[in-house]
Amino acid sequence: MWSVPSYLLAGMAIYGGLGWLLDRWLDMSAFFPIGVVLGVVLGGYAVYRKFGR
Amino acid sequence: MIALTVLAPEDNFRAPSPDELFNSFTPIIPGVTWFTKPVLLAILSALVVIAVCWVAFAKPKLVPRGTQNVVEYGYMFVRDQIARPFLGKDADRWMGLLITLFFLVLFWNVLGVIPLAQFPVASHIAFPAVLAISIYVIKVYLGVKHQGGIGYFKNMMFPPGLPKPIYFLLAPIEFLSNMIIAPFTHAVRLFANMFAGHMLLAFFSMVGFWFLFEKLTPLGAPVGVVGVIMTIILTGFELFIQFLQAFLFAMLASMYIGGALHPDH
Repeated sequence: MWSVPSYLLAGMAIYGGLGWLLDRWLDMSAFFPIGVVLGVVLGGYAVYRKFGR
Repeated sequence: MIALTVLAPEDNFRAPSPDELFNSFTPIIPGVTWFTKPVLLAILSALVVIAVCWVAFAKPKLVPRGTQNVVEYGYMFVRDQIARPFLGKDADRWMGLLITLFFLVLFWNVLGVIPLAQFPVASHIAFPAVLAISIYVIKVYLGVKHQGGIGYFKNMMFPPGLPKPIYFLLAPIEFLSNMIIAPFTHAVRLFANMFAGHMLLAFFSMVGFWFLFEKLTPLGAPVGVVGVIMTIILTGFELFIQFLQAFLFAMLASMYIGGALHPDH
């Protein structure tokens, strides 16, 4: 249960990072926040799958 | 920086800065720059843990008394609450490591409120980092040994029972979380708790000292009293946090080792 934060952080880092790269590449600023939110959601899903049963 | 703050005449209350609290130790032996108070406390607590276990278990009796009784209680706590839930039948093999971790970290932390020592060793991140890195190395070694080089990463990144497209999204999260962020949070959780706790205690005791002893004024005195009361309350709270963090550190170590020995089920 105490490893939950590392999942949320990892989700944010991976998909936020991808969004940030996309933003840099396409010269936009929308993908970074989308990526961060998506990452937290997926991290939350990973946590649910692992500990939520 | 340090010389300046000492020389400057001060009329106003100034909260202690992290630099003063954590980074301004004079070497105990002149010339040996690395040998400062945190290092001395770390070594001392290691010696104390060794001595306590020696006294308790050098000549174990069937009916425990005195020190053996107390330490056995700690041993049972670590075994039942930390080792067995995550390691199952392997628990006894890992008790040596886990009991050492728990007692050492507990003693490091409790030094934060012991008078004269009053410095939680783990509030210098190097100390928890070394422990966390050691656990990380053990974890990866055991995982590769027990599940195979490819199998370890496959079990970690693709746990069974999920629709295929989800794997594509979750595998990077699992990898990053297990391989990079987990050891990081393992060390930082302990470090940050001890760091913040020491700051809080230092701040409130400084408030009490300043307003009651340095600059006693009718208006300042109640503030000083509040500072003293908060110091007492927070010392109790800090004791609880110190125990909790030692428990968590050992528990996470046990969890990582258990996860490396057996894939997720």
